[in-house]
Amino acid sequence: MKILHLYYDIMNLYGEYANISAMDRILQKSGVECQTDRISIGDNAELSDYAFIYVGSGTEKNQKVVLEDFRKYTVTLKSYIDNGGVILMTGNSFEMLGEKITDASGAEFDGIGITDFTVREQNKIRTTSDAILKADFLDRELVGFINKCSEIFGIDTPMSEVLMGLGNKKDDDREGIRINNLFGTHLTGPILIKNPYFLEYIANLVVSGKADINTKYLGFEKSGYEVTLSELNKRKTTV
Amino acid sequence: MKLFLTILICKLLHFVGKLIGKGSSLPGKIALRLCPDILDRVRLPEYIIAVTGSNGKTSTVEMIAHVLTGNGKSVAWNKEGSNQIEGVTTLVLANSTMTGKVKSDILLIESDERFARYTFKHITPTHYVITNLYRDQLTRNGHPEWVADAISESIKDDTTLILNADDPLVSLFGEGRDNVIWFGADKLDSDTVECTGKYDDGVYCPKCKKFMRYSSRHYAHIGHFKCISCGYERHDTDYAVTSVDLEKGLSVINGKYNISLALKSLYNIYNILAAFTVSSVVGIDDEEIAENLSDYVMKNGRVVNFTIGKRHGTLLTAKHENSISYDQSIKLAASEKGGCDVMFIVDAVSRKYFTSDVSWLWDINFDMLNCENVHKIVLSGKYCNDLAVRFSYTDIPEEKIKIFDDIKKAYDFLNSDREEYIYTITCFSDKNKFLTLL
Repeated sequence: MKILHLYYDIMNLYGEYANISAMDRILQKSGVECQTDRISIGDNAELSDYAFIYVGSGTEKNQKVVLEDFRKYTVTLKSYIDNGGVILMTGNSFEMLGEKITDASGAEFDGIGITDFTVREQNKIRTTSDAILKADFLDRELVGFINKCSEIFGIDTPMSEVLMGLGNKKDDDREGIRINNLFGTHLTGPILIKNPYFLEYIANLVVSGKADINTKYLGFEKSGYEVTLSELNKRKTTV
Repeated sequence: MKLFLTILICKLLHFVGKLIGKGSSLPGKIALRLCPDILDRVRLPEYIIAVTGSNGKTSTVEMIAHVLTGNGKSVAWNKEGSNQIEGVTTLVLANSTMTGKVKSDILLIESDERFARYTFKHITPTHYVITNLYRDQLTRNGHPEWVADAISESIKDDTTLILNADDPLVSLFGEGRDNVIWFGADKLDSDTVECTGKYDDGVYCPKCKKFMRYSSRHYAHIGHFKCISCGYERHDTDYAVTSVDLEKGLSVINGKYNISLALKSLYNIYNILAAFTVSSVVGIDDEEIAENLSDYVMKNGRVVNFTIGKRHGTLLTAKHENSISYDQSIKLAASEKGGCDVMFIVDAVSRKYFTSDVSWLWDINFDMLNCENVHKIVLSGKYCNDLAVRFSYTDIPEEKIKIFDDIKKAYDFLNSDREEYIYTITCFSDKNKFLTLL
C-alpha cells in the first residue's frame, strides 16, 4: 500500500509531517506493508496509486505558489474523491479546493473548483484558538489548534460542529469540509497524533476492510488526548 | 501641563509598582490613556537602538547594555522585559525629566516583533537590530512570514538596520536599502550543507519562492543561502564570527577579537555578535567590547546551575512553542562528554495565556539525544504523554526514557546516587516548578 505526503516541504507548518508518520505507523502496526512517498512542486503524482493522501498548511504566500502547481491535479483529484479515495487536508490547504481565494490586497486567485466555496483573507489579525470539534462520524470530539487569517463562505458539507474554537467564517458554528472521504479542516499541526480516535477512523477507511486496525499501541496518545480534552473543556467558551 | 502631569503619574506608578513588585507595563498604559501622543512629545536621545526578532532579544539587549554602561554611557533600557508599547512608554517616561527629556545617552528598546509597528509609529529608532525569524509561538504569531510582514510595517526609511545576513527572511528587510549593517557567521567547522532539523524553512526563496541552495548551514535555515532562480543571496557581512570552537568555548569576531563563551552555544554566539555590532556602531572600541563580552554571564536567569543531593546540573531555559530554542539546548546537553541525564518539563505551554497546543514538540529534533553522552531522559509535567508519544517517534531506546506527570516525582527520580550531570530543559512558564523543589 502506498500513502502520499503531497507538498511535504512547503505545506508543513508546525509538525504536520507527523500526520503521515502516524498513518504509516498505524498501518505497519496493523500488519499492512506501507510505503510513504513525499513529493512537492514540480513533481507528478499518480493520485490513484495512493490509499491515503495528506496535504498540510502553509503560509499565505506558499499556499498561492502551491495552488498553481496543484491545478494540474484537478481532474485526477476529482475522480480520486468521487471514487472514495481518502484524503486529509489541514490548515489552509483545503482552501485550494474552492472557487476563489481573495488575498488581503484584494488580488483574486482561482481555486481548482472541486467545489464552489470562496475564501477571503485579511492581514490584520491572526485568528487563532484552541479547538474542540464534534464530527458526526466520530464518537469522540476532535481537539487541536486553529491558526488562520481567512474566512470561507459557501461550504454546505462541513466536517464538524464547533464546540470551542473557530468556524469556517465569523460566528459560524461549522468547521471544515467533508466530501466523500475527503476531510478538510483548519486544525493545524499533527492532528492524527493528537486525535487517536480520528486516526483509527481514517485508517479504517484507508484499509477498507482488508485489515484489522490495531490501536493497542496508542496508550500515550489516548492519555494525551484525554488531558488536552479536559484542559480545553475547563476553558470552553461558546462560539 | 498635560505632559508634566502624565510624566509625574507614570513615574509615581512606576515607583509604587517597583516597591510592590508589579510589572512595568501598567504605568505606560495609563500614561498613554491620559496622553495618547505622549511618545511624540518627549525629547529622545541621539541614539535610539531597537532590537526585535524571534529569539535572542532579551539576551542581546542585556549584553548591549552591559557593554555600553561599562564604557561610560548612560543607557535607559527595558530590563524588566515589558516590550510592547506600554512597557516602552514606562521606560521612556521613567527615564525622562519632568519636561519630557530622556536623560540617558542611549535609549535601548527590546521590542516585541508583532507590536513593533505600534511602538515605532511614535519613536523612530536610529538603529534597528533584527536577530532572526523562527517558528515561534504559533498560537499567537501565525508563522514567520506573518511576523515579517508585521515587522516591515515598523521600519522607517531613515533608520539604520542591523540585520542577520544568515537569515534569508530577515535579510529581505535590507533589499533596496543602503543604510544596513550586516552581521553573520563565516563558514564554520560545525556547519552542514543539508538541513539537520526536523523541518526546513530554507527550501524556498522568501523573495521569489523558487528553490534556494545553501553552501553552508550553521543551523536550521541560518547559513549561506543563494536562490538559484532570482539570485537573492546572503549579503557580505560588516561584522562576522570568523571562527568558533565550542569545545574550548571560544569565538572570534572579525578575525581578531577573541571572546570566551560563558554559554557554549552557537545561539549565544549570534547574540554576542549582535551586541558587538551595536556597541561598535555606537563608537565603543572593539577591543574593549570583546573584553566586556568575554565570559559574560547573563543575569536574566535563563541559565541556572543547581545541585540535587550530590548531583550537579544546569537548567536551560528554552521556549515552549519554539523548536529552535529547544534544538539549541538539546545540542548543548548532547555534547556533554562526561555523560548526562536530560529532563524535560512541559506543564503549562505559556505563562501569559492558555493553550493546550503541543504541535511544536514535533518540530524539535529530539533525535540529537540518541547518543552515548545521554543516559536517562526524564519526561514530566501535564503534557508528559505528548512528550512520550513524540519520543516514540525517535530512535531513542525506550529503556532510556522515564515518564512522570508529577514534576516532584521526576525530581525524586533524579535525586539518586547516579553520577551523571543533569540538564533540565524547560520554559519560563515551568522552570519555577522545578527550581522551587531544590
